[in-house]
Amino acid sequence: MASHAAIRNELSIKTSLYYSLLFHGGLVTLLIISSFYSHRGDLWGGPGGAIQVGLVGSVPGVPLPRPEVETTNRVVDESKGLYKSEPAPKVQPPSDATPIPKFERNKPPKYVTRPSKVLENPAKPPENAVPYGGGGTPTVPYTSFSMGAGTQGGLGFSGTSGGDFGSRYSWYVVAVQRRISMNWLQTTVDPSIQFAPRVVATFDILRNGTVTNAQIMQSSGNASVDRSATRAILDSNPLQALPNDYSGSKVSVEFWFDFKR
Amino acid sequence: MMMAGPAGAQDWFKTGTGLGVSKARVAVPDFGARTSAAEPLEKTFHDVLWADLDYSGILDLVSPSFYPTKLPTQPSELNAADWSAAPASAYMVAYGNLSTDSTGLAAAGFLSEVQSPAAPIALQKIYRGAATEADARRLAHQFADDIISRLSGGLPGIAQTQIAYVSTKGGNKEIWVMDYDGANQHQLTHLKSIALTPRWSPDGTRIAFTCYVPARGVVSAQICIYSTASDRLIAFPRYRGTNSSPAWSPDGSQIAFMSSQGGDPEIYVSDADGRQLHKVTFAAGVNTSPAWNPKTGKQIIFVSDRAGDPVLYLANSDGSNVEKVDVEDKGYVVDPAWSPNGQLLAFSWRRPSGNFDIYIMDIVSRQIAELTRDAGRNERPSWAPDGRHLVFESTRGGTRQIWTALADGSMPKQLTFEGQNESPNWSPR
Repeated sequence: MASHAAIRNELSIKTSLYYSLLFHGGLVTLLIISSFYSHRGDLWGGPGGAIQVGLVGSVPGVPLPRPEVETTNRVVDESKGLYKSEPAPKVQPPSDATPIPKFERNKPPKYVTRPSKVLENPAKPPENAVPYGGGGTPTVPYTSFSMGAGTQGGLGFSGTSGGDFGSRYSWYVVAVQRRISMNWLQTTVDPSIQFAPRVVATFDILRNGTVTNAQIMQSSGNASVDRSATRAILDSNPLQALPNDYSGSKVSVEFWFDFKR
Repeated sequence: MMMAGPAGAQDWFKTGTGLGVSKARVAVPDFGARTSAAEPLEKTFHDVLWADLDYSGILDLVSPSFYPTKLPTQPSELNAADWSAAPASAYMVAYGNLSTDSTGLAAAGFLSEVQSPAAPIALQKIYRGAATEADARRLAHQFADDIISRLSGGLPGIAQTQIAYVSTKGGNKEIWVMDYDGANQHQLTHLKSIALTPRWSPDGTRIAFTCYVPARGVVSAQICIYSTASDRLIAFPRYRGTNSSPAWSPDGSQIAFMSSQGGDPEIYVSDADGRQLHKVTFAAGVNTSPAWNPKTGKQIIFVSDRAGDPVLYLANSDGSNVEKVDVEDKGYVVDPAWSPNGQLLAFSWRRPSGNFDIYIMDIVSRQIAELTRDAGRNERPSWAPDGRHLVFESTRGGTRQIWTALADGSMPKQLTFEGQNESPNWSPR
């Protein structure tokens, strides 16, 4: 009896194994079919898959401040080092040229060259020596201008009447700079020009803010850059009236333009 | 370096550009209330001043949590070192006090630079008005405009400007006017019919619009002019057919509008009182929505469907030299608005994909930028007199309302909330 029951059990396992195999086979088929039918919608942004977006930041003419651009420090290497930075070892390029066979009959020279003496500096670096590049932020101006106090960062001034306009009215200087900068349209420059040397222009501001005598002092060597600089100045006319407590009748301005696309 | 300046020059300063400019960092602490009656007005004053400066687009306001504990209310109390040092790192501080007396409210406003202590005060003024909320707002707007004018180099602010628009809040479509920040909304016309497309005259004393006023039993679209100075309609002749979408010449002496008096809708120009009418477009199809170049007054941009879909055309103001302003793909291009400096056009464009969005175009280079996207229908832009802001109608909130934004599309702000509001037009200064 016991053996009969075992055989029946074996049979029942076989059938359930068969059904299980059939069920799993069906599952795998479904999986393959579903993976074939998924991701059948349209791509985002139309047939090409690309969305055309106008870059608002590049629109000229709107008198809003352009974002400031970070520049790399051209004066000081800020990498940490010891007293001196060591020059990088020269890497010899692998030469794949076959050496020219030496002319055997040449006699070697009779004298032997000796290495010259290297004078070592016996003085040790002083205790308070600042490691190269570790001296913190330099106080010298290294961008074209800064928004800080009037005496730094490219805002220079000198007065024939002993005036110190730039430091007394730095807000006025900054406002003039901002206004002209907003009116300087890079689309007015020949599109093939990527970079131009500095244009220096001068003009006078009368008490009521009128701009007169605008002229190019130092040309960039390119007429369209010079013209766009002159236009930026003339488009800013009239500027803010000079400060009420300023005694002079006019202020002369030297304004530079660094063009870079 | 510049010792050799021209003879007679008083002072020199040197500066330059090339890398963009950063925004000036300004701190605006609470104003001191000198009298108890000024205390409730101080909050209004400071809130309005803060909003005006924040929305100017050229300033970076220092968060109040960075302020020193002792706030100045007059120049002798200002400790420049506290404000110029981190964390405030302010470049300028705008501060002052409010007081009331028998003559009304007096707001003393000061603007000091704190980076160089020797500098004199950049702005010190006393603003006077009645001791009311409305006047506290007005004085704050005046102080904000003075600050913005100084810090932007002579381009005045827009805090005292207004916006005219069409609203159904009173039942009919009438012309309404509000402050540029959405406050003080009030109804101007009571025609009990339909009023559309308001346009401020360049001196701000009149508003021309399209009206539907019956005459001898016939209702037709005509040009109406409302005088804001005398609060009534002033005379403008009626013409046959449909007359709509007026536009003022920049000197205020002429009006361009669409009229179908000759059969076909064409653009006509007349004097501001309706005399000397003459036709300036001569093309089959609809020619409408003229706008003058506000800088020169010598050019007109208008919408025409002479070549199929409505697109923009540029012409001299006498109608000569018509030129199609091409856009790269098809669609409806309507509602042109010319920026105050004459360099940019704002318009609404329905591209074939179906969106109705605001674009601006540099007229010289024909470069286009999109200002709105995926936010309802955005139509009928109008420029603020400073050229830094735009007002337009948008359905992004579900209903048609008036919105403003900076002219690069940032900082959108809803101004109206009730009824249907459309067709805004920014007042001149």
